[in-house]
Amino acid sequence: MPRVKASETFTALWQQQLSDYVTAIVWLPADSPFPNHSLLAASAAGEITVFAAEGSQVHPIELQAPTDASIDALALAHTGQFVAAGGQSGEVKIWRLQAQPELIATLENAPAWVDRLVWHPAQNLLAFSLGRYVQVWDADTNQVVATLHFENSTVLDITWDPAGDRLAVSGYQGIKVWSIADWDADPTWVEIPSASQLIAWSPDGKYIASGNIDRTISVIEWENPGLPWVMQGFSGKIRQVSWSDTALKQGAPLLATSSSQSIVVWERHPDETIGWEGKVLGQHDDTVEAMQFQPGTSLLATAGADGWVVLWQKLNRIGQMLQGAPGGFSQLAWHPKAQQFAAGGQRGELIVWKQTSRGQGFG
Amino acid sequence: MVTTELNDRMSDQDVVPVTVLTGYLGAGKTTLLNRILTHEHGKKVAVIVNEFGEIGIDNQLVVDTDEEIFEMNNGCICCTVRGDLIRIIGKLMRRRDKFDHLVIETTGLADPAPVIQTFFMDDDMQSKTALDAVVTVVDSKHIWQHWDSDEAQEQIAFADVILLNKTDLVEAAQLDELEQRIRSMNVLAKIYRTRDAQVEMAALLGVSAFDLNRALELDPHFLEDSQHGHHHEHEHDETVKSVAIVEPGAVDGAKLNQWMSQLLQTQGPDIFRMKGILHMAGEEQRFVFQGVHMLFDGRPDRPWKADETRRNELVFIGRNLNEDQLKEEFRACLA
Repeated sequence: MPRVKASETFTALWQQQLSDYVTAIVWLPADSPFPNHSLLAASAAGEITVFAAEGSQVHPIELQAPTDASIDALALAHTGQFVAAGGQSGEVKIWRLQAQPELIATLENAPAWVDRLVWHPAQNLLAFSLGRYVQVWDADTNQVVATLHFENSTVLDITWDPAGDRLAVSGYQGIKVWSIADWDADPTWVEIPSASQLIAWSPDGKYIASGNIDRTISVIEWENPGLPWVMQGFSGKIRQVSWSDTALKQGAPLLATSSSQSIVVWERHPDETIGWEGKVLGQHDDTVEAMQFQPGTSLLATAGADGWVVLWQKLNRIGQMLQGAPGGFSQLAWHPKAQQFAAGGQRGELIVWKQTSRGQGFG
Repeated sequence: MVTTELNDRMSDQDVVPVTVLTGYLGAGKTTLLNRILTHEHGKKVAVIVNEFGEIGIDNQLVVDTDEEIFEMNNGCICCTVRGDLIRIIGKLMRRRDKFDHLVIETTGLADPAPVIQTFFMDDDMQSKTALDAVVTVVDSKHIWQHWDSDEAQEQIAFADVILLNKTDLVEAAQLDELEQRIRSMNVLAKIYRTRDAQVEMAALLGVSAFDLNRALELDPHFLEDSQHGHHHEHEHDETVKSVAIVEPGAVDGAKLNQWMSQLLQTQGPDIFRMKGILHMAGEEQRFVFQGVHMLFDGRPDRPWKADETRRNELVFIGRNLNEDQLKEEFRACLA
């Protein structure tokens, strides 16, 4: 990998240890009952822990001890009031997050493996995968309000549109989009000629990016879903599709994608025939396992199985390289507001880095 | 044709060997699976099953799945994979220290090809696992009723290890006839006669049948028959059979490449498996290869030994194979 050029700006603030591969990291909002920079993390051994953090002082509060059945999905309701977790056991557990977190519901779905769950952006509605179905559960009434049949295959991914009007579900041969106004109405069908493994709705609601099993990426314009842009020529499996939350000159956010060791950042081109223009960033030495743009900026952080976290400054050069997970990283999550991010490792490492001096070119 | 390196990390300690267990309904797969799970072989075995609850053993590492066949856009048969395996094995591999061996049980009516192809096509399965062997359990009594079934034939054609099970239910003569028939279909497989699926674990786990470094092992009797022209009466044969080619002489690489590409393009769907050792013109090393439908994996192997006869040995297992034409076309590739 290229050497670091810019001055170091992020330094490790604290480090904790989970018992196995970190599968999820979620930051808690400012008005949670925990200190301002606290987060939740889960592992493939099944534990879920709140790390209540003030500065470098960290106090772990266990929501669930290791069970030996992995937690694969962990998500926080929009208010930060509820946290939901799902995994290999088939149970979806929901806690009310208070000073003493309280388990308020356990939905049993064994032997299904619940690996996707997402909260509605503005309501206490939780959508989760259940084999070939998605169920939508209302935390206010403790009721399942919809059971959506994807049909074509097991559900591979789920995403709400940012306004919360629609729910997109992906799998073999495409994406089905249901309207929250009428769960019984037939979903809109967006065809993908292989299987859509990962989907992400852009923060402006205009696009859905889909990482497909045949090593292609489709970008669907929601107003015109019949003719997606298709990006191809990737050297491996598409692992991530991740949007920035800020629009650039062309009015569209940036899309970062990864396959094998390589990372491409796509920008909407003014020329319709070009569509999206990709810029290949440098490489990790092993699979890129996680990536996210810093909220409000176009600073991209990537975490690799090679044991490095890389901050890509101005989208073309390496701003900083960080390490701390000798067995490779698995997760990465930016704090929604503060200049901090957390990364999780394949051997259970959990590290938070904080920006110590405002580096040039960030933001 | 897709060229892959299925076993480029075979020696890596991190790589988990995988056994694919196939067999027609009622052949004895579940009996065998229970045997693998209870046997004191010192291995922690994770199992992916299609019919949950059949296994009578409480085991954390038994994962249930519904077989999901994903076809790619281009309609290429080699790009048909098992979507459920990609999803589940990717997650299981995050805790690879928890198990030493993975067994995948397929449904009785499954075509084994998509399972095998998933190991060639998916990045994670290619780099973190290694296909050890396809094991097929055959019901020695009832298989005679299933010869019309494509799946029953394909399960035999794809196998590296075949258990002729329920031997207690058939006469010795019928068993001999069955073994002969199966041998003509699949000359590469190791065949064991079993009762209640009783077989040495060493014959099942750690076979490394997809490891190119392992010698091609052919039944010498089959080769003799084949060389003396005792092949079957039909030139175009709907049933599955093996064709073995043994030829002296050195192979012209360019000609071989052209022939192989053309063969796999036109007959890929009918060729289930192939394996071979070649003497390439001007090369001191043996060239070894294997294939599953259109997927081809080949590379130079060890040098030829001084006392070794340099010759070419190839085996094709498939349907509608024209033995004479294959031999003739191969001879045309000699330098």
